Amino acid sequence: MGLLRGFLVLVLFYLLGEACRLVFALPVSGGVLGMIAMTVTLMTLGGVSNELASASQGLISVLVLLIMPGVVGVFFKADQFAGQWLAVGAALLVGTFLSVITTLLLMSFLVRRGQREDSQ
Amino acid sequence: MNGVFERLLGVPDVLSGTPALAIGLTLGAFFAGNWLFARLGRPIWLPPVVISAFFLSAVIAALALDYDQYREGARWLTVLLGPATVALGIPLYQQMHHIRAMWRPILCTLPVAATLAAVYAVVIGWALGGTPLVLASLAPKSVTAPIAIGITEQLGGSVSLMMGGLLVTGVVATLFVDLLARWLPVEDERILGFALGLNGHAIGTARAFEISHAAGAFASLGMGLTGVFTALILPLFFQF
Repeated sequence: MGLLRGFLVLVLFYLLGEACRLVFALPVSGGVLGMIAMTVTLMTLGGVSNELASASQGLISVLVLLIMPGVVGVFFKADQFAGQWLAVGAALLVGTFLSVITTLLLMSFLVRRGQREDSQ
Repeated sequence: MNGVFERLLGVPDVLSGTPALAIGLTLGAFFAGNWLFARLGRPIWLPPVVISAFFLSAVIAALALDYDQYREGARWLTVLLGPATVALGIPLYQQMHHIRAMWRPILCTLPVAATLAAVYAVVIGWALGGTPLVLASLAPKSVTAPIAIGITEQLGGSVSLMMGGLLVTGVVATLFVDLLARWLPVEDERILGFALGLNGHAIGTARAFEISHAAGAFASLGMGLTGVFTALILPLFFQF
């Protein structure tokens, strides 16, 4: 029962997010709006119930299951993207390589600079 | 007897019209993927989601099911992605003390790195002749799946292509972080974790938890913040 009560809270926040998206014509999905509302609510309340924590943990641990129907689509829709595979492959491989380097260098630089400032 | 045989032949057609078959196949592939992943010794380059996806597509193709019909049945699972996205807000809240401890480097890196993760991919794809549909599907490649689905739908991309791209991005981001950590070198586990979550979403985060708990916490944080930031920024960019 506790698990279902936690799930109900997640569904309510999702519906709240969807309602906000529709009413204010926002270009962001209802799930994300619900997630932001959830984080802000928890920060305001200063704690999270066990029911909610276990319901969220349960859903997050089966995320891979939930995305599977979409993932396999790429095998069945592949012919739609004929002639685009070089662009797709290069964007994914080279783009990810560059963004990983950027993140590591920038973050290392900022952390080092922060430590220097603290020690001064 | 003839009647029974004829009815037996009709069974696949009737069952493929019910959500139960699609859900059963997806669950079966999910467990098979996790089982094989453990048997193979948890290889970084072959995460369970990839194995499960191969299993599932092979079965759908072997049973000669129509993909759109399968997806319609599996909609019962996909509906849960909304509440699952909301659920990501809870670990984000629980890791708030990590943000407080390192908020300056995090807040300075996040907007730059998350924007560039999308910009690099879109610019390279565009330079090589990618169509607007393809570019819109590549832009959220570093965002965790439940959020990325919402973004791609907003941008008018293909969810299938985006999902494939997400998978490749997660796997190669994990490999590149491992490689570059030795090459640069970067030893701080918090930085490695943050880079894994920011670039490689859930797949990178799973890897970060193998490094250490601190790396995992920073990866969840990087994944959550990148998801929210990209969801807010990309649709605005694409309007122009």
